[in-house]
Amino acid sequence: MIFITTKCSICNKTPVIINCKYNGQKLCHTCFNNSIEKKVLQTIKKQKLITKGDKVLVALSGGKDSVALIKILNILKERRIIELEALTIDEGISGYRKEGVRIAKETTEKLGIKHHIVSFKEKYNFTIDSLMEKESKKEYPRHACTYCGVFRRQIFNQVARDINATKLATGHNLDDETQSIMMNYMEGNINNMVRIGYKTQSSDEKFTVKIKPLREIPEKELGLYVLENNFEVHFDGCPYARHSFRMEIGDFIREINQKHPTIMYSTLNGFEKIKPAIKEEFIKKENINKTHQTCSICGEPSSDTKCKACKFLDEIYDN
Amino acid sequence: MNITLKQDNNKKEINIEKSITIKELLKKEEIPLETVVVKKNNITVTEDELINDKDTIEVIRVIFGG
Repeated sequence: MIFITTKCSICNKTPVIINCKYNGQKLCHTCFNNSIEKKVLQTIKKQKLITKGDKVLVALSGGKDSVALIKILNILKERRIIELEALTIDEGISGYRKEGVRIAKETTEKLGIKHHIVSFKEKYNFTIDSLMEKESKKEYPRHACTYCGVFRRQIFNQVARDINATKLATGHNLDDETQSIMMNYMEGNINNMVRIGYKTQSSDEKFTVKIKPLREIPEKELGLYVLENNFEVHFDGCPYARHSFRMEIGDFIREINQKHPTIMYSTLNGFEKIKPAIKEEFIKKENINKTHQTCSICGEPSSDTKCKACKFLDEIYDN
Repeated sequence: MNITLKQDNNKKEINIEKSITIKELLKKEEIPLETVVVKKNNITVTEDELINDKDTIEVIRVIFGG
């Protein structure tokens, strides 16, 4: 048997730790790390996600994506291009979130980054666990992600505004984005689909601009990046996300990605090309250019007189 | 050939007839390749790496799928 040693496509060294089938590159430890950081910084520059002087608030869960994100954004902090702070939300999910909060705390301490922790229990007087226990007794229970998403968004936005952050950065990766595009298309949810992007902006000044610097990095590569750098992260999945539609779509995309390794990039890039046309047509037909209002209860920006979070809170406190 | 497979704090010995690749091992063990990072004797390897006698293979799940 003849053994052929595979060498790094960039520096010719061994061993190779990844074979990127979507572009044919085989990379060693150093070139892989450099390629991830370079790609993220290029995305930031090309999509104009950050400008000098920005104060960036990172949504830090302690998982691989957000830890990788804060480490890479810290490069810009060290170059004195941006200010950096982090926010961790404790939704109250037993056996899952505690570890993430600990890792987030330690990560920020090591990097010297100001860290904010907000819990659902302190802010709303319930946990996702207690909420879902009540919900399970209902005839048509809502999924945990429905509540979690609404309340997390409210907290992110409020904290970003309180600390005068100019950008809110999240760790959404290539897999997440491809899944969102497919999910919204398959559900016919064009309103949500046209909002997917590198940057989410609202004409309402009360909303902080959201940015996704990891949008072009496959999820598996972020896992490899944190392992290769010995960053402490937790790899556990949220117990409530199991059996979700997102997970079904994720499994489907990963399966076809093995035979068609460029499928995630082509889905993302194809979507970016058709998005302006869909957006224009959709806004024209559906007249979604609603005027911005302020929630009469909490004062947050809303498309209605009462925001979604306050509508949910009314229901929760009434029961 | 005897190899050691480590995954999620579990460890087991596996007997394989001939040298196989990481990809073939994962398929045999029904572990989805797209969701894991694999180390052979503590060094990260690609799915094309050959496994030899007495190797320790560690499978680290980095993506949670169904």
